[in-house]
This record gives sequence, structure tokens and C-alpha cells, in this order.
Amino acid sequence: MIPEENSKNRPKYWLSLDQWRQDPEFMKFAETEFMSSPLRESDTGEGGWARREFLKLMGASMALASFGCIRRPAQLIVPYVQRPPEVIEGIPDFYASTFVDGSETYGIVVRCREGRPIHVTGNALHPINANGMSARAQAHVLSLYDPGRLNGPVKNLQNEKKTNHDTISVDWTAADKDITEQLKNGGVAILTSSLVSPSLDHLVGEFAQSTGAEVFVWDALENGAYADAQAASYGKAVVPRLVVDKARYILAVNNDFLGTWLQPTEQQRGFASNRKPGADMSKLVVFESIMTLTGANADQRYRIRATDSATVLMRIAHELLVNKKVSRYAGDAEVLKVVKGYAGQSAGIADAVYSKVADALWQNKGRSLILGGECMASQIAANLLNSVLENDGVTIDYSRSPNNGFKGRDGMLSKLIEKLNSGVVKTVIIHGVNPIYSAPAAMGFADALRKAKLAIYTGDRVDETGWYCDYVLPDHHPMESWSDAEGQKGVYSVQQPTIRPLYNTRGFGDSLLTWMKAIKPNNSLAHFDSYYAMVRSNIEKEYRADWVKTLQDGVINTVEAERGRSDSPRKFNAGSLKQAEFNATPQADFELVFYPTIGLRDGSMANVTWLQEFPDPVTKICWDNYLTISPRMSEEKKLQEGQVVVLQVGSEKLEVPIHIQPGQHDNVLGLAVGYGRSRVGEVGANVGVNAFPLVPVTNGRRQFAGVPAMFTATQSQQELPNVQGYYLMTGKSSEGANMGDSQIVVEATLAQWQSNPATGIEQQSDLSSWTPHEYKGHKWGMAVDLNLCTGCSACVIACQSENNISVVGKSYVLKRRMMHWIRIDRYFTGNASEPDSLHIPVMCQHCDNAPCETVCPVAATVHDDEGLNEMIYNRCVGTRYCSNNCPYKVRRFNWFNWGRMQPDLVASPMQMQLNPEVTVRERGVMEKCSLCTQRIKYGKMQAKLQGREVRDGEIQTACQASCPTNAIVFGDVNDPNSKVSQLLKDQRYYSLLVDLNTRPAVKYASKIRNTDKLKTSEEFYEGGHV
Amino acid sequence: MIHQSVKQIIGAIIGLGVAIGLCVFVYLMTNNKIVFGYDIGYQPTQPIPFSHKVHAGKLGINCKYCHTTAEISRHATVPPLNVCMNCHIQVRSYEGKPNPWIDKVVQSYNSKTPIKWVRVHMLPDFVKFNHAPHILAGKQCQDCHGPVQEMDVMKQWAPLSMGWCVNCHRKPENHAPTTCGTCHL
Repeated sequence: MIPEENSKNRPKYWLSLDQWRQDPEFMKFAETEFMSSPLRESDTGEGGWARREFLKLMGASMALASFGCIRRPAQLIVPYVQRPPEVIEGIPDFYASTFVDGSETYGIVVRCREGRPIHVTGNALHPINANGMSARAQAHVLSLYDPGRLNGPVKNLQNEKKTNHDTISVDWTAADKDITEQLKNGGVAILTSSLVSPSLDHLVGEFAQSTGAEVFVWDALENGAYADAQAASYGKAVVPRLVVDKARYILAVNNDFLGTWLQPTEQQRGFASNRKPGADMSKLVVFESIMTLTGANADQRYRIRATDSATVLMRIAHELLVNKKVSRYAGDAEVLKVVKGYAGQSAGIADAVYSKVADALWQNKGRSLILGGECMASQIAANLLNSVLENDGVTIDYSRSPNNGFKGRDGMLSKLIEKLNSGVVKTVIIHGVNPIYSAPAAMGFADALRKAKLAIYTGDRVDETGWYCDYVLPDHHPMESWSDAEGQKGVYSVQQPTIRPLYNTRGFGDSLLTWMKAIKPNNSLAHFDSYYAMVRSNIEKEYRADWVKTLQDGVINTVEAERGRSDSPRKFNAGSLKQAEFNATPQADFELVFYPTIGLRDGSMANVTWLQEFPDPVTKICWDNYLTISPRMSEEKKLQEGQVVVLQVGSEKLEVPIHIQPGQHDNVLGLAVGYGRSRVGEVGANVGVNAFPLVPVTNGRRQFAGVPAMFTATQSQQELPNVQGYYLMTGKSSEGANMGDSQIVVEATLAQWQSNPATGIEQQSDLSSWTPHEYKGHKWGMAVDLNLCTGCSACVIACQSENNISVVGKSYVLKRRMMHWIRIDRYFTGNASEPDSLHIPVMCQHCDNAPCETVCPVAATVHDDEGLNEMIYNRCVGTRYCSNNCPYKVRRFNWFNWGRMQPDLVASPMQMQLNPEVTVRERGVMEKCSLCTQRIKYGKMQAKLQGREVRDGEIQTACQASCPTNAIVFGDVNDPNSKVSQLLKDQRYYSLLVDLNTRPAVKYASKIRNTDKLKTSEEFYEGGHV
Repeated sequence: MIHQSVKQIIGAIIGLGVAIGLCVFVYLMTNNKIVFGYDIGYQPTQPIPFSHKVHAGKLGINCKYCHTTAEISRHATVPPLNVCMNCHIQVRSYEGKPNPWIDKVVQSYNSKTPIKWVRVHMLPDFVKFNHAPHILAGKQCQDCHGPVQEMDVMKQWAPLSMGWCVNCHRKPENHAPTTCGTCHL
């Protein structure tokens, strides 16, 4: 329960509600480093030896073994028969390629060692994401080695009603024969996700033409409102690109454009480009119902109901057009008629806020950006505002380089279901979507699919949809196949294979070409003998580009010059305001919001361990989904964190644990989709619950937000693996109530920064009882700008991929044994209801006066002559003193041989992803961030071989290379011209826990919020409004 | 009483002797004066008894003709069969007599079956050795691998122990780094 007194003892920045309310249990854990329990390895099934017995026995046998001189088992060296000219053992190869993830397209560079893809970085030449990556794009390298993948085509033997089941292997020829027979009978439908590949799109179109098939496009996460609202307001359905870097004032209403919506990586980059403190710094104002990453980055954030998105936007339009009478739309009677209806509507927000926001928007006209929610009404309202504010064509790019995704419509899926039910469609080919899992139960796709004579699925495993299909013909992994993508108009990128297909798979394009040839030998694409030939011809003929150069660059940017320009605004059709379902949404006691998470999105990569153990950037929970509820409502309904409730939406029911989420609207519940996969593999199966079936369909469109819902509490409790608060930085004042007052996050308003750039920063004193280290050559350092860090956590997975970091599984995350070397701490400030949030990436600080080094009894952690704090695994005996003494809590202990112990989490061929440059750590060894010492070594080696000095920026750490906003900069601080030295001159930079005099090599720049007043935690629930 | 004290003195001398002996032993061990347990002379049976003595010694083929990547990569690499075939496409006999091992090389190449050599120089996984900087610093292959040109079948010549590495890195003339992270990362 939250005590109202003691507020003066409350930390200004808090990690969790437990810390906020000074929970005694929490305080106890804050002081103990390890959750000690007499754990036995036998608990998890390794050999059945208890750990202590094991040590005893080992002690005895070690003594004997040391005299035995037994050589390790012989290793084999198997050289190539014919070495490919580009492969040199020990030297990585890089391939420019493309990765498409739902609506997002990335240009990527795949690093291969000895022919195995092991790591992915962004392609700096690619205009969409540049060097930036997301956690998912990083993790898709592991999905290549997913042990759950199907290793050849299979057939499901089923009876008419498809109630029994037996899966057998088939060969491609037999499958092709059977399929082409059936295709000849007509009644063919193809169901795909939005295809951003021009070649595949063209091929599907031609296939449809030559076989008389009908194409249906449907996406798991997008209901089409964005494009349809464009069509309603402006006459043409497009998916405009958000030109965030031109926006000085961004108003997002229930729109997570920095987290999961549209092209978040590109949008984050654009957002960050205007976050340099100064008169020109942009402002992000967010109205939202659940807490999203966008809300966490807001300068000002307001809580609204999920159904109030349109109301808020229309009210602002009312302020502008009626109260202030600005813009040419102020005289438009048709617009005014609708807008005037919003005169008194406030959506629970003070009137002054609207007036202030409207003023600021008008001041920034032509350089603001308004984003609406997932319903048509709010999208049309956002269109109106963008037209009023003259943003259309400037920050909303509808013609030069708009997005190519979001082609799916719910109406298309319903039409397919209808045709399946009526028997018009006899054969259905499903590619890139998993509707049995992700379509709402109300649509009845499963029953319809059973009526198909022949269902063909091209997924990579017999998953939920595959189970109901007659054939599952596995497609290649994107890293194994040729393809292309035009994520945004004119930005054409090529996807090239980086490894030979691991299994007996065949690309979807090749399958279509084969079937086409069998049915209609003289079809329009008959001259292509493979899909690869199609892709290549597309590049050489359509784009007139050199094939080799295209493969080198990975991208052809035909709109480079135009992307920066602006267009004339389109005419806003006032009729669209009436067309939308304004005011029609009923407001329930609890409005449920279905949202995708940054890690799992649509659940397609649910069997990738990295993504399951990826702490959600907002809630910091992994390995589960949960029903989020506001702190006040949990109090009112007497709900505890982790208490299981029965959620009811319509007639559908679901048991799900509660997570109390600060910043959530009191009448709103949030539930993540993408979890609860039933047939995905050992890792992802039955993690969390599947929320997709609960999504209702209203007016032919899935409704993801504002869904009326009820819940009843049960007595059962489920522990949620919430990693926030596991690693507590406390500093000197760890005793008593002032815990957390040390210099961890520093924040200032823009005005405060303008008067004093070092606001709130306590500088390092020069006094020290230690003799300083001497760095004659390089001195590596890092600068992290909290103003740029959005908390997206791409770096966490980049680090995991680069440094062979183990996954420990849910049960051990609960025991606080996560292994991530870099963690993103999410701090709240203000009261529990309306807090502001900050994200801070914390890795090993590589202190000059490192507390860990002095306590190691075996000198396993030592300082090197370039400022790195080295961790020598083979010397470590596992006393864990170093971790105890580390104030930043960045050291991770290998309690077990994680890889060997958890066969369900680490199974063959996942070991093929391991980076050979980094030691795989064993049981009993401490590990931590090394500032990617292997990359430093590689960079220095390359420079030496070429007889030159190391160039600044040549060596990048994995976290730095993946950061979409360039918030992390690594380099040589001894070089006065290096970027990091230049950055560190900024007075905003400070050291974490400066009072401890550890003198870290990693420095942070304070967060500058473009707001009037910073939030404090004096208040209880209310307040926070202007 | 005297008897007792003599006993004590003898005991002390023995104790001291053992202590000094132990110290000397540890000193010699850590300074590579006594070396055991490092598999010096390890000479596993190879699928083909490839003779460095013939190739490098008698024929005088440069090491880097086969171990092409030693200058640029962490691995010197065992050559792929296509390198063997550069000569053995012609050379099918040894000293005028047909040689079954050469036949095996040709066969393997033609049937695209790689030869599985047994690794001689093994370092633990936590040691990241890199050939390139050593060659760059002017080290000869023989400095670490011994008189390879005299070996009929490859064997381990040096202890490859940490002490052996460090002793060389420590010499001022080598300008070699001695921080732990040089090899352990």
C-alpha cells in the first residue's frame, strides 16, 4: 500500500513502485547483491548432482587429475577442398542485405565468420535506418539458427474435417505435383502479409493472373486505418513517411511512433536529430492511455482514455479554428460545423493545456507533426490538424518517398473467409502471416480454413496456421535467400544470401515460379529460371544499376535528392470528418488496449531466446505478458502485482497476471499481443497468453484500442520477471531512506540548461588517495547522451549477439541471474500516476579507480594501459567480491554453464551464431562489459597491418553501432580531435555516482526536457497537469 | 631435553628445506625452467603423414606458400586442397615411385571430401592467439614451431604455456603488450 506520509524521504528518481513506496522487502534486496538460495543444478536436470556434492567430488578428483596429465580430446582441422576466394579463416566477411520486419525495412550489414552469419549491423548507406537497428533486427540472426525451424517440406495427413493429424515428410517434386494438380482446378487464393518486395509483389500478381488466383493482403498488427484515413481525407490511400527530423513540435496521440509504429528506427533517428539542447530543440507532447516508449520520451505527457484520441485532436482543432481563428480552414463552414461540436469536450485534460498546445502548434506551423491513434476518427482528425498547420507535404511525405507497407486490410481477410466458407476458394496459399494465431477469434478463420480443399503454408515451421494446412513448404530464412525490398518509394534495397540454406527449404518466389510453369508453361515470367534471376533482372533492367555495385552498397536510392524537399499540401476533404465514427465509441469503465511490444511485435520471432529475455523498454518485464493497470486502480480494486485476473472481452475470457504500470490512465487496461504462441518451438511456446483472439472487429476493422473489458480477480499469484530493481545503484547514501539520491540520472529543463548547462551536475573532485593511472597511448572512453537515448534497447541485443551472452530462462531471471552486459535502467520521476520517465544505459563504467579491481583476491580483474577494466575469465575463481563491490552493479556471474544446462534454450544449431572472437564463459566465472575489447583489438590490428594509426570512429562498440540515435559514442579520449573528446567538453557530461570517486571512463550527458517544470515526487496521485 | 631439542632442530631444518625446496620448485616452474604437462613433442597420427621435411626442408617451399593467411589473420590456416593441387596436379610420385598419400590427396580433391587433420597446437578457448602481429613483428615461424623443416610429421615443439608466451612478450626489444587482455578476451 502506498503511504502518503514520508514523501520527503522518497527518492526523486525511482525504478519501481516498490522503491517509491519504500517497501521493506525491496529495501532488503537493495542491500543484498545475490539472491542466495541452496540451488541445485539437479533442479534443472544436469546430471542429477547437487552442486555442493559436485564440488566435493570435483575437489578430490582434481587433486588426482593434476598428476594424471591427461590431454584434452583431439580436435580436428577440416580445411576447405576449394577455398572460396572471399573467405579467410579468422577474418570476417560483410554482406549488405535487407531485413523486412512487418512495416519496417532495414538496410543491414551481416558479419560472417567462416561462412556463418554471426552479427548484424545497420547499413550506413541505407536512407531508412542508416546505422540504426532495432532489437528485433539484431535478433533475427539467431532466428536463422532457430532449432524450431522445419528442415524440409511436410504434409499434414488429415481427414475431411481436419480433426485428426499426422505429419509426414514429403519431397518437393511430390508436393509440387499434388499442388499443381489442385491449382489447375481453379478457385485459388493467396493470402500474404504486405509485400514490400517489388519482385515478389510482381510475381504474386503475375501468378494470380496466370492461374486466376485472387490475392488477399492482411497484416497481423495493422488495421489499415492510417492509409484509409489518408484516402478519406485526401482522396488517395497512401502510407506517408513521417519526416520527423523536420518536426520541431510533435504531438502524438495514442501513437507509439518511437516504439512500434510504422518505421520506428527511422523515426527515432529523425526525432533525435532535433534533440540537441538549444533554441531549436524540438518538443514532444504525448497524450496517451497506456505507457509507451513514445510517452516515456515525451517532454510533456498527458493521460487520456483510449477512446479519446479523436476528441483530443478535435479539441485542439477547435482551439485553433474556432477560438484563435487561424489558418485558412477557419473559414471552412463544413469543417467548422464538425469542429464546433468539440467546444466543451476536454477528455479529462485542463482547458489551459489545449490552449497552450494550440498556441505552440501555431507558432510551429509548417514544422510540426500530428500523429493520431489506431482508429479512423483520430487519423482523420490528425489529417485535419496537419492540413491546418501546413505540415502536409513537409513533415508528412505523401508523394516523394512514402512507405510501402500497411497494405493489409481486415476487409480482405473477411472476404477470404467468406469465400472459403462458400466454397468459392478451394485452394489457399498462405505466406508471411499466421492468421490462426493472430486473427481475432470472432473472424472465424480457423473454421473457414478447414473448408479449403488444399491449404499450403510457407512458414518456417508447423505453427498454428501450419497445423491446419495440408502442406507446409518451408521458405528460406531471409539470410539464406535472394530478394529485394522497397520499404519506401524509391529506396530499393537488395537482400542477398549470407549462407547456403541450412535445410531443405525453397524460397516462396521459386515455389510460385515452379507452379506457374507447371500450370501455364508460356507464362509471362517463364523466361526466369529462378526467383534470383527475377531479382537480378529487376535491378539491371528496371533500375539500370550495376549488379555488383548494388550488392556492395545494398541499396539503390533513387530519391536521395527528393527526400529532403517538401511538397505542396493536398486538399483536405472536409467530408471525411463526418464519415468517421466520431463520438460513436462508447466509454466503458475499463477500456482495453492491445499493443505490440518492441521485442515480440506480432510474435513471429517468439522462438528467439534473446527476444523472450529482452526486458520490455517500458515495463522492464521479460518472458511474459500481463495486464497493465494504473496504480490508483490497483489500489481501488485491491490488486497486487502479479495477481492473476480473469479478463473478459465480449464472450472471450483470458487468465492473465496484473502489472501495475505508473503513467497509465485509470480507466485503461493494456495487454500485449505477440505472446502465447502454442506451436512455435521449445522456447516461445506458451510464454504468456495470446491476446489476438480477443481483438474485436467493429465496422469491418479490428479495434485494438478502447475495447470495453471487465475483469475479476482470482486468488492466484504469478511472479513476473521484472528486471528493474534487480541491479540497484545506490552510491554512498545507501543507508536509510535517502537511497537513490546519488548522482545517477541528471535532468534539467531547457530553460535551466540555457542559464546553466551544468545544472544539477556534481563535478568530480580532484582529490584522490590513489595514484592515477598513466595512459601513454590510447585511453578509451565513452560518451552516452541521455537526451538522445530513447530506451529502445537495440543495444542490449547487439551486445548479446556480439559477446556471446547467455540466456538464462524465466526461472533464473526471477532469481536475478540475468546476464545482459548492458542494461537500460528506466527511472520514473514525479508521482506514481503521472510520472515522467528517463532511460539510462548502464554498462561497465571502466573506472580509473575501480572498486572491483582492489578486492579481487586473484587479480582476475585488472586495469590495462588503455583505460580498460579487464576481466580475465580463466583467472577468475568466482568469489564474487568484485560484483559485491561494484557500485554500478554491472557484473554478471555464471552460476551455471548456462548453455549446457538448458537444452531447451540453447540447442543445436544455435552455437553457430557464437562469435569466435569472444570466449564462451563457464560456470563460476564473473563477466561484464569489456567495451568490446575484441573490436578494439581488431581495429588496432587492422591499423597496424596497414601501417597507420587507428582512425577515430573506426572502432565502434556493438552498442554504439546499433544505436539508431547515436546516443553512444566510443573513442580515444587521449586524442583531442576524436569525437568523444569533443563531446566530453560539453558541460552536460557527468559521471555516475560521482561521490564515490571511481572516475569512470563512461560519461553521461544530462537529459534536457523541453518543458517548464520538472516533476517531483512530492505529490501522491494527482497533479502533473499544467 | 637435549635429545628433544636436537629433534626440534632437525625438524626445523627439514621443514625449512621443504619450504625452500618448494619455493625453488615454484620459481623454476613459473620461470619455465622445469616444464611438464604441456604436451611438448605431441605428434598425433595424421590422416596423411604429411612431411614438412620434404616440402619445407628438401624442396624449400616457403611456409607462407601454404599457410597463406598467417600475415593477415589470426589463423595461419591449414591449406585447402586446392593449394596442394597446385603442385600435385602434376607431381604424382615421390622419388620416382608412386605414392599412396599423394593419391589420397588427389582422390580427396576430386571427390570433394576434405581431409580431417588432427590439430597439433592447441590453446584453450580463453586464449586468443593471433598470428598476424607476430609475423609483422618479424618473428620466424620456427621461433614458436621449432625446426619444422626437419620434422617428418608435425609435432609440438614449444610448451605453449602462458609463461613461455609472457617471457618473450616481456623482453623490452619485442615491444609486446603484456596486459592480460592481450590474449584473454
